[in-house]
Amino acid sequence: MKTEMDFEELMDEAYGLPNGPAKLGMLEEAARVADVNGMEEEAYEARSEIVETATFCGYPMKALIAFSWQLGKFDQQPEEYDEETLMWSYKWILGKLSSFPEVSRDKMMELLEDFGQRFKSFGYSERSYWYYRFRISMDLGELEEAGSSYAKFRTMDRDFMSDCEACEQDEMMRYFILTGDDEKVLEMAKPILKGRMSCAEIPHLTLSEILMPLYRLGRTAEADKHQQKGYRLIKGQNDFVRSFAEQMDYLARTNPAKGIDVLEESLVFAMDNEDPFAKMLFYGRTAPLLRRWADESPEYRLRLPASFPYEGDPGDLRKLADYFAEYARAAADKYDQRNGNRHVSSLLG
Amino acid sequence: MTASNEYRFQVNLSGMIQILSNHLYSSPKVFLRELMQNATDAITARTEAEPGYQGEVRVELTGTGEQLTMMVEDNGIGLTEADIHEFLAMIGQSSKRGQQALLDGETSFIGRFGIGLLSCFMVSHEIVMLTQSAKGGPSMEWRGKPDGTYTIRQLDTQLSPGTKVYLRCTPDAAHYFEADYVKEALFYYGALLPYPVTLHHDGVQHVVNNETPIWLMDPALARSRRAEVLAFGERLLGEKFQDFIPLTTASGRTGGIAFVLPHAVNLNAKRSHRVYLKRMLISEKAENILPEWAFFVKCLIWTDELQPTASREHFYENEKLEEVRSELGDALRKGLANMAESQTERLQKLIRLHALSMKALAVQDQAFYAMIHRWLPFESTRGHRELGELIDEGETLYFTSSVDEYRQIHHVASAQSMLVINGGYIYDSELMMTLPMTVHNLHTERLEPDQVSMSFTDVPPAERNQYYDALRLADSALQRFRCRAEVKGFKPSDLPVLFTLSQESSTLRALEKASEESTELFSSLLGSLSSGISSAGYSTLYLNVNNPIIQRVLTSPDDQMTPIAIEMLYVNALMMGHYAMNRQELEVLNQGIVRFIDWGLRGNTDRKGDA
Repeated sequence: MKTEMDFEELMDEAYGLPNGPAKLGMLEEAARVADVNGMEEEAYEARSEIVETATFCGYPMKALIAFSWQLGKFDQQPEEYDEETLMWSYKWILGKLSSFPEVSRDKMMELLEDFGQRFKSFGYSERSYWYYRFRISMDLGELEEAGSSYAKFRTMDRDFMSDCEACEQDEMMRYFILTGDDEKVLEMAKPILKGRMSCAEIPHLTLSEILMPLYRLGRTAEADKHQQKGYRLIKGQNDFVRSFAEQMDYLARTNPAKGIDVLEESLVFAMDNEDPFAKMLFYGRTAPLLRRWADESPEYRLRLPASFPYEGDPGDLRKLADYFAEYARAAADKYDQRNGNRHVSSLLG
Repeated sequence: MTASNEYRFQVNLSGMIQILSNHLYSSPKVFLRELMQNATDAITARTEAEPGYQGEVRVELTGTGEQLTMMVEDNGIGLTEADIHEFLAMIGQSSKRGQQALLDGETSFIGRFGIGLLSCFMVSHEIVMLTQSAKGGPSMEWRGKPDGTYTIRQLDTQLSPGTKVYLRCTPDAAHYFEADYVKEALFYYGALLPYPVTLHHDGVQHVVNNETPIWLMDPALARSRRAEVLAFGERLLGEKFQDFIPLTTASGRTGGIAFVLPHAVNLNAKRSHRVYLKRMLISEKAENILPEWAFFVKCLIWTDELQPTASREHFYENEKLEEVRSELGDALRKGLANMAESQTERLQKLIRLHALSMKALAVQDQAFYAMIHRWLPFESTRGHRELGELIDEGETLYFTSSVDEYRQIHHVASAQSMLVINGGYIYDSELMMTLPMTVHNLHTERLEPDQVSMSFTDVPPAERNQYYDALRLADSALQRFRCRAEVKGFKPSDLPVLFTLSQESSTLRALEKASEESTELFSSLLGSLSSGISSAGYSTLYLNVNNPIIQRVLTSPDDQMTPIAIEMLYVNALMMGHYAMNRQELEVLNQGIVRFIDWGLRGNTDRKGDA
C-alpha cells in the first residue's frame, strides 16, 4: 500500500496523472508530507501544482486555499520564489472568486486592486487588470461597468501575462450573451468556430455557449453540429460543468433524450464540484430538462450516482425536477443577495 | 485599376527553398520519403494508363566521400518537357498560393512532385533528374541548384520510360547516404508498398520490402497468421509484441493492426502510431488517429482516405479524421469485447498490464465497463483483488474517495471486516460510483471516514453515564480544535483513539492553515469563506472503550490530568494520520511532552524521597 511515500515519489506519481481528483489527492498528500517535515520550498512547489490542477478540475476552493498560503510565503521571501507563475495563478483565483457567494463585492474589489497593484509593481501590462475587472463585473451582473472595462482593456497592450487571445475572445463573446445580442455573439464566436483561435479550453467552452444564441436565431442545424462537437470535447471532464449545463439547456428544447444522456454522464461531476456557481447552473438546467423528459417518457428512471443525496423515488421525474430547481433557486438567492441585483436568478430564467 | 499598376511579388526562390526545406519538414531524412512518394505516384499514374503494369523502384549508391551519390529510379510514367515546365511553375506559384494550398491533398501529381523534390536540397547541393515520358518525346535532363537556378536539356540518347534522380550528398548529410541507413529507411517508408523496392550497393542487391502481406487488405485475416503479424510488427515497430487486435473501418479504406504494448505505459505517454497513407509511410508519431484512451497499443495503420498536412507528417483534424478515429476506437473496443467473451485469460493478461488504460476507457464507456469490470484490479481491505472476486463476496462495496480517507479508516474497517475499496487512485472512485449503473443488483457506497463509526459498538447508556465527567473534560479540552470526543468500542483494541475528519472539517483545517500563513487580505477572504462552511465541520475523536489506557482515562477523571491526556491523544492521532498541525496544536504537543516528562520525573523523585 502506498501510504508512506515520500515527497518526491508523490510528486512523480502526481505528474504522471492527468488532471483530476486523483492527481489532486496525490498533490495534497505531497504538500502535507512537506508541511509535516518542514520542507518549505517543496510545500510551495506542491501548492503551485495544486492551484493549477484544482483550478482546472472543479476545485476552486482548494486552489484558493493553496494560493493564499503561497502568496503569504511569497510576501515573506519574495526572492525565493518565481513571481511569474504565482501572478499567473492569481488570475485563476480572480476568475473563480465570484463563484463563492460568501465573498462580498467589496472583498472582490479589494482583491482586484491588490492584483492590479502587484501586476503594476512587476511592470506587467495593465490589460490583465482591466480584463479581470471586466470579467468580475460581468459575474456580478454589472453590465454597464463591464462594458466600460471592456472598452478599456481592448485598447491596452497584451503582454506575456495576458490571457490568451482565444480566452479573451470567449469572454468578450460572453459579454454579448449577457447583453442579449445574439447576432453579435455569433460574430464574436466566428474566429473561434473557424479554428483561428484556440487553446486548451477554447473552443470547448465556446461550442456550448453559442447553442442558445443559435437556437434563438432559429439556426438549430448549425447548433446541432456544434453541440455534437462540443460535447465530444468536454465529455467525461469535471472541468466543464457549466458547459454541460449549457448543453442541457439547449437539448431540453431540441432533443431531451440526448439531454438526459448528458445529465446522466455528467451529474457525478456537478455533484462533486466545488464551484457552487457551476453547480447551481447545472442543477438549474437539470430541472426543466427533467420536466420535459417526464412529458415524453414518464416511465423513465433516472440513473443517479450512488452517493447522490436524494431520498425520494428517482422514478418520479417531476419530484426530482423540483429537488434540482429548489437547490438552484436557493443558491441563486445567495448570489443575488451578495450582488444586490437579480442578475443570477435571471440567468436561471 | 490599370494593368500597369499591377505588380508581382519578386520571389526569391532560394529563400523559398530554404523555408520549405528547413521549416516544413521535421528532419532532412524525409527526402527519401519524398523521392519514394514521387516514384510511387509516377508508377500509379502509369498503372492507371496501363492496367496490370508492374512497377518497381531501384535505389543505387555509388562513389565514396564527396562523390557519394544516390540514384533513385522508377519505371513510372516519366515527365515530358512540358511536364517539367509545369512542375517548375508550380514551385514558383507556391509564393502566391501559400505553401499550404499547394500541398493540400489533391494537387496534381506534377505539383506534388516539384515540392517533394525540393526536400532533396536538405541533403544535396545539386539535383539531377533524367526522365523519359511514357507518352513519348525526347528524354530530358533537369539540373537544379538550391539558389533556384536550373538548366533543362534534351538528351541525345533515348532512355526507357521512367525517372531517375541523382543526388550527391553534402558533407553534413553523409550519414543519410550510408547503405545500412538507406536500407532501413527504405523499409521504414516503403514496407507496405505494393511493388518491389531494391537497393544496389557494392554490386549487391537487397530486396527491401517483401511481398505485401495478405492481411494488409483484410486485417481480419491477421488473426490466423499470428506469428507472421507479430514478426512484422517487431521488424517495423522495433518491439517484441505478444498480442494484437486487427482494426478495420466500415468503408474498408482504413485498416490496421493494434499491437498491445508489452509493458505498462504512463497515462501521459506520447501516443505514437505509425500510419501509411496510400501505402507510403506518412507518420510514425500520428497522435490523433486513435482515441485518447488507446495508449496501451502501438498501431500500424494504413489509410487512403485521410488528408495529410503540408509537411505530410500528420493529418488534418477534420470530420473525416474524427470519423476514422471513432471507428478505429470501436474496432479496438470490439477486439477487447471478443476477448472478454471467449478468451478471458488473454484479456486478463492485457488488463493486468494496462489496468489504467482499461479503467480510463471504462469510465467513458459504460458498456465496455460492464464487459470487463470483473478483471479490473482494486486495492481493498481484502488486499489487491480483481473486482469480480470482490463482488463475489456478496457484500456492500464501500469505497473511499481519496487515499487519505482510506488510510484514516482502513485499520478500523478491516478490524470490523468491512469490505472497503481504496478509491483514491485515478478513476477508482468514479468507477465505484458508476458500478451499480453498469452492473445490476450491486450496491456500492461511498464511505466517509466518520461513517466507520457505524460499525462501532455503542456503549450502553448506563456505562456511558459513568464516563460523563471524563467526557465533559474531554469535550472542553477539544473545543478549541473544533473537535468533539465520543466513546465507542471498536477493534483493534490496541488502538486508543481514532480521529476522523469529514470533508468539511478537512477543508476548514486547510483554510485555517493557509490563513495562518497568508497575507491579511487573503486571510480575511478565507475567513469569509469559512463562514460558508456548515457547522458539520466538527471532527471527532473516538475514544476506544476497549483500550486499557482509555479505560483508565475514562474511569478516573482528573481535572488536571484528563484534559492534557486527551489533548495529547488528539495531537498523537493527528501525527499518526499525517495531518499538518497548526500553531495551537504544535504548542499543545510541545507543552504536553514537557509536562509529562516533568510529571514522570517528579513521581520518580517523590518515590526516591519516600524510600
